[in-house]
Amino acid sequence: MEIQLDFVSAETLARKGSAEKISFILDKIKRNIIVVLEEALEPQEEAELIEATMREIDTEEFHGIEFYRIDSRAKGLREKIAEYIAGRRHGLTIVGPTRLIEAIKREPDYISMLAKVDVPEEEKRKRGRKKKGGK
Amino acid sequence: MLSELKKSLRKLLKIFKRKKQIQLGFYGPVNAGKTTLANRISLDWLGKEVGTVSEVPHETRHVQKIENIVVTTNNGELRMNIVDMPGIATQVDYKSFKAFGMSEEEAKARAREATKGVIEAIKWLDNVDAVLVVLDSTQDPYTQVNVTIIGNLEARGIPMIIVANKIDLPEAQPESIANAFPQHVVVPISAATGENIEKLYEAIQEHLT
Ligand SMILES: Nc1nc2c(ncn2[C@@H]2O[C@H](COP(=O)(O)OP(=O)(O)O)[C@@H](O)[C@H]2O)c(=O)[nH]1
Ligand SMILES: [Mg+2]
Repeated sequence: MEIQLDFVSAETLARKGSAEKISFILDKIKRNIIVVLEEALEPQEEAELIEATMREIDTEEFHGIEFYRIDSRAKGLREKIAEYIAGRRHGLTIVGPTRLIEAIKREPDYISMLAKVDVPEEEKRKRGRKKKGGK
Repeated sequence: MLSELKKSLRKLLKIFKRKKQIQLGFYGPVNAGKTTLANRISLDWLGKEVGTVSEVPHETRHVQKIENIVVTTNNGELRMNIVDMPGIATQVDYKSFKAFGMSEEEAKARAREATKGVIEAIKWLDNVDAVLVVLDSTQDPYTQVNVTIIGNLEARGIPMIIVANKIDLPEAQPESIANAFPQHVVVPISAATGENIEKLYEAIQEHLT
């Protein structure tokens, strides 16, 4: 089982509106790709991402996302103005499907992401089918 | 001196802009104790419980409104409508409900309702005057869901109090919630036993009305 990570540059993201950005992310997630964005999402965008995720959840394939925003700490007035002009917030956002990402945890000095290497969902389904057939 | 002046000025302003009744939303992750708290307040002041509390996640799948609660504290009357929200989550897996003895169909139906409940709760952000963010003191406070909820309230300028719930449990660490969100008022309580609930009413009066 492979794991694909896609890194998306701040420039690419800056060209997209909020809605476009969210569907761009979710489209990848639903194809089991973990996405690393070169920007910190805005809280409102995070809420939109959760809303869109809830709309996309189906009982069989897609059960949701794990994500984590890392903000850059230094926030002076100058940086804030620069960010405002650039239209984005410095930092990173990691988003992935729950079937792949077990957990993203904040440790004192780093962020830790625990990914699954197999896709147990599929395994379980296959086994489930076999059992039914055997009855 | 100056801060005293500011305070009295703010109090004066408050008298003018004070709403008769605040619409107080209960937000938080799933299973933090939002409904338990809503029930306790409702039982204490209206004499009845309103919602179903459960260890099964997503028990509250619709917004539940408790209207016209009048609380009397040492500082006077506190009038509010409580809006108990479904918990915010980034994932809903119907299989997790099956672990609580539900059938496949029941579990799937609940999962579908749960996703709608999350959307409803987010939409309600536009209709609340103030919020209690209810967190479970036995859990790691620095989760993305918590950060997203608090970030959205900040961005919208909605005043909030963070409720560090479940302090009756020995493993509760309300101080780690205060450390994670130092810019906000944190009130440790137990919705289950009622411990410190008076402090919460006073804090609502002081910071949210
Ligand atoms: N020990 C303890 N358990 C609590 C407390 N508040 C809620 N619970 C339990 O936590 C679980 C979830 O509570 P609920 O009110 O349904 O959470 P909600 O999803 O936030 O509405 C239930 O099993 C409650 O009995 C508390 O203050 N102390
Ligand atoms: Mg509830």
